[in-house]
Amino acid sequence: MKREYVTFVRRLSSLDEGVQTLFIKDLTPGPRKYDTKLVRAQLAREPESLSQGDLLWIRSETGYLHPKAWGIRVLEELPPHVPGQPWQDVFASLKNLK
Amino acid sequence: MAVSDLRGFIAALERSGDLVRIKREVDWDMEVGAISRRAYEKAGPALLFEKIKDYPPGYSILNGPVGTWRRVAVALGLPPETSVRQLYAAYEEKHERKLSPVTVDTAPCQEIVMAGPEVDVYQLPAPMVHDGDGGRYIGTWDIIVTRDPDTGWTNWGMYRFMIHTKNMLTGWPQATSQLAIMMKSKYLPRKQAMPVAVVIGCEPLCHMVATDPYKPGENEVEYAGGLRGEPVKLVRCKTQNLLVPADAEIVIEGEVLPDRIALEGPFGEYPGYRSGTMGEGVLVQITGITHRKNPILTLSTLGVPPDDSSIAASLTAAIAMKRGLRRRGVPVKDVYVPPEGVTHLIVVSVERGGSRVARQVLDFFTARRVMVSKVIVVDRDVDAFDMNQVLHAFATKCHPGRGIALEHYEGRGNALTPCYSADERRRLKGTSAVFDATWPEDWEEEGVPIKSSFETTYPDWLKEKVLAHWESDGLGGRL
Repeated sequence: MKREYVTFVRRLSSLDEGVQTLFIKDLTPGPRKYDTKLVRAQLAREPESLSQGDLLWIRSETGYLHPKAWGIRVLEELPPHVPGQPWQDVFASLKNLK
Repeated sequence: MAVSDLRGFIAALERSGDLVRIKREVDWDMEVGAISRRAYEKAGPALLFEKIKDYPPGYSILNGPVGTWRRVAVALGLPPETSVRQLYAAYEEKHERKLSPVTVDTAPCQEIVMAGPEVDVYQLPAPMVHDGDGGRYIGTWDIIVTRDPDTGWTNWGMYRFMIHTKNMLTGWPQATSQLAIMMKSKYLPRKQAMPVAVVIGCEPLCHMVATDPYKPGENEVEYAGGLRGEPVKLVRCKTQNLLVPADAEIVIEGEVLPDRIALEGPFGEYPGYRSGTMGEGVLVQITGITHRKNPILTLSTLGVPPDDSSIAASLTAAIAMKRGLRRRGVPVKDVYVPPEGVTHLIVVSVERGGSRVARQVLDFFTARRVMVSKVIVVDRDVDAFDMNQVLHAFATKCHPGRGIALEHYEGRGNALTPCYSADERRRLKGTSAVFDATWPEDWEEEGVPIKSSFETTYPDWLKEKVLAHWESDGLGGRL
């Protein structure tokens, strides 16, 4: 059974395939649903192209849900935060991690 | 006198017929939000959800403590049918009263204590409020307590906070808020974390005061005591050097980190949209959680008006604006913040109008942090609380060419204004307009159009005669 996650992006076009660092929320039902993780993960537009992959739903900055899920295989879980000062753009900080 | 805790307020709402208990099991994952949202949109009661999926019996959620004017009246200890104008007057009359808080050693809000590695915010039934939110929002109807490290001033505000992990929250106080100014000016230069407490479930006047735009240096807790007619009891947090209301249901103690951030938002916000504020917030490391036995989590399922935000801010913002306009020498009569305008639209009635006064009004609203984008100025004969009259004045007296003045700004606009582009919201760039629906001051009296209404176009003797015969003419009960 594939696990399901959701991530938020400013625009779908800003998300790339390949190995990425991103915040994901775990959609496993139960009292810890929506728990956040920062992960390094392999992403693919076509879920079936990723062996042993899970599903990644994508929402925009307004919460708009893109109709088609991507594939994700988590490679490494990182501490759930990135360097930066309050009110700085978290996406810019994520980019600097790469 | 108003009540001293949330449980007393719930009992008062039950007595006035303004509360419904939902006894069947409901899911914290959107179901609580969906029921609550529909209740607001149907002008329904406050809702106490008594059985929450995944959580122990006795844990509950209260949505919409002051989501109607009736509930505001109950909160103020007034009859539920008190008119909006009377509620404004009552709030204004009590607004300047201060009562110092009293500090206690033991408190109901500390009946249960989690600290250090025991901290697990998932033990509280924080709801997924709307489908598509960035996470579970535990702080929607809260009081955020912070303290100036130099002066000791304690600030109360109301800002959204979302669960990030079991021991972290992310939040979004606007970058122009008092919390942000304190963090940027006092803690960041020292590379220090800022102690913070997220207080949930006080009686509603404390929360309303937290939405009131008091000046920096003013202690909201003293004004809350003045409004209540009894001092607020405070207790020291278990893991932070902060004082919080002792009768609260839940207190989350922590620190805003100066050097780490994480994803926050988006969230369906008070203007009635999820307009894209995301990823530019603060990260809080939770150091402790305290709560009452059988805690009640207060919730405001924000969205299209009316809800707690649009109702409470209507009252608190209007009184503050009226005071501010008077200080600037504007001949203000009334300020009304219609809940439907979600604090983006303000009505100001003035003793004497004209373009100069309208400009003064616009200057006041755009002098510093700008939360308002549209202001309608009306003459004194228009009841600012009656939107039928306001709309009529706007439609007929605001000159499309000369009656609209604009002010543009950057770095201090309201990032939650839905009509701003994503780029404008990020740069806090915006525009405010004043719509002058008053007669020009240089028009001679004999040339000013006469309003054709019962009150303004007939002599007193005839009006008295009409009223004297009203009932016998078969029109009784229609006045």
